[in-house]
Amino acid sequence: MSQTLWNRTLTWSGAVRRSVSRVGWPATDKDRAAAMISSLFLHIHPARVSRHVLKPAYTCALGLIAGVLFVVLSVTGLALMLYYVPYPPEAYRSMKDLQFVVTFGIVLRNMHRWSAHAMVMVVFLHMCRVFWTGSYKPPREFNWVVGVLLLLLTLGLSFTGYLLPWDQLAFWAITVGTNIAAYAPVVGDQVKFLLLGGHVIGPMTLLRFYVLHCVMLPLAMLLLISLHVWRVRKDGLSGAEVHAPAAEEVAGVFPPSTKTYGLMALSKRPRTSVEARDPNDDVFAWPQLLYRELLVALAVSVALHVVSLVFMAPLEEMADPTRTPNPAKAPWYFLGLQELVHYSALVGGVIVPTLLVLALLVVPYFDRGKAGAGQWFAPERRVANAVFTTLAVIFAGLTIIGTLFRGPNWAWVWPWK
Amino acid sequence: MTNDRVPPGSVAEKPERPDRVRRSMFVIGCIGIGAATAGFLAATVRFLVPNVLYEPSRRFGIGPPTVFPPGAVTFLPDRRLYVFNGADGFYSISSVCTHLGCNVKRGGPGFECPCHGSQFDENGQVVQGPATKALAWYALSLSPHAQLVVDLDQPVNPEFRLRA
Repeated sequence: MSQTLWNRTLTWSGAVRRSVSRVGWPATDKDRAAAMISSLFLHIHPARVSRHVLKPAYTCALGLIAGVLFVVLSVTGLALMLYYVPYPPEAYRSMKDLQFVVTFGIVLRNMHRWSAHAMVMVVFLHMCRVFWTGSYKPPREFNWVVGVLLLLLTLGLSFTGYLLPWDQLAFWAITVGTNIAAYAPVVGDQVKFLLLGGHVIGPMTLLRFYVLHCVMLPLAMLLLISLHVWRVRKDGLSGAEVHAPAAEEVAGVFPPSTKTYGLMALSKRPRTSVEARDPNDDVFAWPQLLYRELLVALAVSVALHVVSLVFMAPLEEMADPTRTPNPAKAPWYFLGLQELVHYSALVGGVIVPTLLVLALLVVPYFDRGKAGAGQWFAPERRVANAVFTTLAVIFAGLTIIGTLFRGPNWAWVWPWK
Repeated sequence: MTNDRVPPGSVAEKPERPDRVRRSMFVIGCIGIGAATAGFLAATVRFLVPNVLYEPSRRFGIGPPTVFPPGAVTFLPDRRLYVFNGADGFYSISSVCTHLGCNVKRGGPGFECPCHGSQFDENGQVVQGPATKALAWYALSLSPHAQLVVDLDQPVNPEFRLRA
């Protein structure tokens, strides 16, 4: 009797488990491949990947790290929202509460702050990697455009988040930033008025930046990240084509395949033919790709925790519109712009950034040759790489000058003096 | 799956010309939807423009003329304004840097901006960039209660003086 009851219970619990996940814990390659395809959370991966693109030296995992940082920022940001009041001066007091009253509040805030800085850096480096490996070449032109939009969204999220602590640092960085927007021709003043919700930075501005930072921009970001990753999934990681050996090399070992996929007739994307791919070139995404991803996510998480426990996020005294700190600096990633703005607000604040963004957006449609795609610093792409590197170095140099070499009244100082 | 199969017998039939009435109705419908979308977008933009600003008034009293000692400059930090009581009358100059909105400070003969290093002379004219526009001058007037009143919506030339 009890034996029957036990068996029934087992059958019942097995049925419950199968209702959640139709396959059990996969034991074979075939089952794992099936799991990759059938799971909502795993199917952004292919079942098999080229082992060449798995090499850490090729992608440096920068896109993945940016994605992990976005998840960390979403989670910590949601937690911080539970204590944050988007109205001055309570906004500043809630920052103080997070620092001194809320258990683990300071760790969350530190983590949010440092992840945001790291994300700007990582997204920029990811862009450099994609350029230097020529990965925006056809068919991936549009995904590069999506990537540029994601870079802009990252900067927008950082900028709107910068005001929320409502301290002197925040207030004056946003004062400088929104006044740059006012230099835009024709609509500049109206854009500034809409952004601030008035003539001066006040409660209305804080509320607008709060809603942009917590809802609108993250949703836009989520949408574009989905598109970005989906297209990577559809086009495959760049570089796999370069390493796919020619058909004749393989033909001696494997009989010419007559295999086709039913949906290939519908799929318009360019693809390497099944015959041309060396089966030994591909490895199963589970475990080869999946475990590497988990390892990177773990490393990022550990690094963020260590940094957040050691270094405190800055919080100056409460915002005071009557007192400008000297020097007043924008967030570090805008200090390259601020350095340009120091020479001319219109040229440095509007014309140069607009031209840079436009150039980034159209570059895959002008640089269309396929030569040199999928490898680092291909000799065929010497000119393109030289131009891009020069611009990137100039921008990084300006940022470093603005951060370290500028003191009171924006005069030159030596950081070691 | 069978929708795209052509039924036998219909192959030879010539396609009819589109019905003119139905086609024009379709165009009118498209224009209507387009107009409605444009109106919706315009309404959204207008919604974002606040009608009431919970800001300090742009026109405000700063006290009787006697509180400003003759020949001296008074800085009103919460109004971001310098008030001068010169030999030929009162005048006021904004402390908002025309470059990117930082507060200029008294320095040298005129004003200096801490953010990007602009310098202005004692009349607010640009001495050194990056600012390209002079500091704003605002109209002063005397209220019936003998108060000095500043109007931020009324910029004036550097010749402006109020005799009080």
